[in-house]
Amino acid sequence: MKWILVSLLASTLAFAGDKKKEEPKPDPATVAAGAKLYLEKTCVACHGKDAKTPIMPDYPRLAGQSAAYAEKQMLDIKSGARSNGNTAAMKGVMPLVSEAEIKTLSVYLSSLQ
Amino acid sequence: MNTAHRLLIAAIALAASLAFAGPPAPKKEGIEGKGYKWNAQEGEKIEALKLKGDAKRGEEAFEVCSACHLPSAAGRPDGTFPQLAGQHPTVIIKQMADIRAGLRDNPIMYPFAATLVDPQELADVAAYIQTLKVPHDNGRGPGTDLETGKKLYARDCESCHMKNGEGDEKKFYPVLAGQHYKYMLRQATEIRDGKRRNANPDMVKVIKTYSDKEIDAIVDYMSRLEMPTQKKK
Repeated sequence: MKWILVSLLASTLAFAGDKKKEEPKPDPATVAAGAKLYLEKTCVACHGKDAKTPIMPDYPRLAGQSAAYAEKQMLDIKSGARSNGNTAAMKGVMPLVSEAEIKTLSVYLSSLQ
Repeated sequence: MNTAHRLLIAAIALAASLAFAGPPAPKKEGIEGKGYKWNAQEGEKIEALKLKGDAKRGEEAFEVCSACHLPSAAGRPDGTFPQLAGQHPTVIIKQMADIRAGLRDNPIMYPFAATLVDPQELADVAAYIQTLKVPHDNGRGPGTDLETGKKLYARDCESCHMKNGEGDEKKFYPVLAGQHYKYMLRQATEIRDGKRRNANPDMVKVIKTYSDKEIDAIVDYMSRLEMPTQKKK
């Protein structure tokens, strides 16, 4: 029994961290498209022009966030899989963005300092 | 470190985090409570209503609002954000004050309502919004049962919201003409189901017996109302 657990653990670790994947350098066209979406899809209203001066102190700074993480949170909030914290506010605007637009926005956010 | 020390540090940390997080949206007793009185004449609403709004100053203040409601104040056809242009100042002031007071739950809007400076700014924004043109290209319904919608609107809605959706400024009844179908559908359903806690009980009484289909038909009809004062582009 024990060895099953050990091997499971080992494989999980290998999967999560062994080969640390660097995020690819953001494509400038995607970044520009994301910047436009950031303004049009109302992100700017709550998270600030620079994506790091949120309107409420308990809203997150987004500039420099990893694209993969930002994308996953947005998808989860949109689908309802994530419904804690301030998602009640965030969920209301998620109908404004498609999954492809979420990806583009995530790349833009990750490109910011 | 002894226990007293630890407790003290924990207490300070908790206090600091609470202060940092800012106050959550308050919750005031609304239509769910026995003591609810619709449009109680109290608080900053009364102050803002007494003040003369300055549309010019309001235009500046509206910049924040325009990030979601758009610079035209026409909102979004998908119903995420309502159309505001040309709305009665009384309606804008009441709804803003209700959101601020925790009588109308709106987690997206609350932080913005909360950062409003004072009743004068509220009066200014409301004055500015009134000067804007009610749009013609609002989101409309599928048009599948306009006959039913027309019939029910004439029977149940028209006496307050008027024939062309003009509403009534003095009575705090909103302009419906130019409003997005999806937004009105959400609001009407929430009013029927008691979720819009600042609703007018008289309206709840009327709408309570409606099926989803009937609400849909009425709202669809409403999304096509046009006021004679709305100049065609």
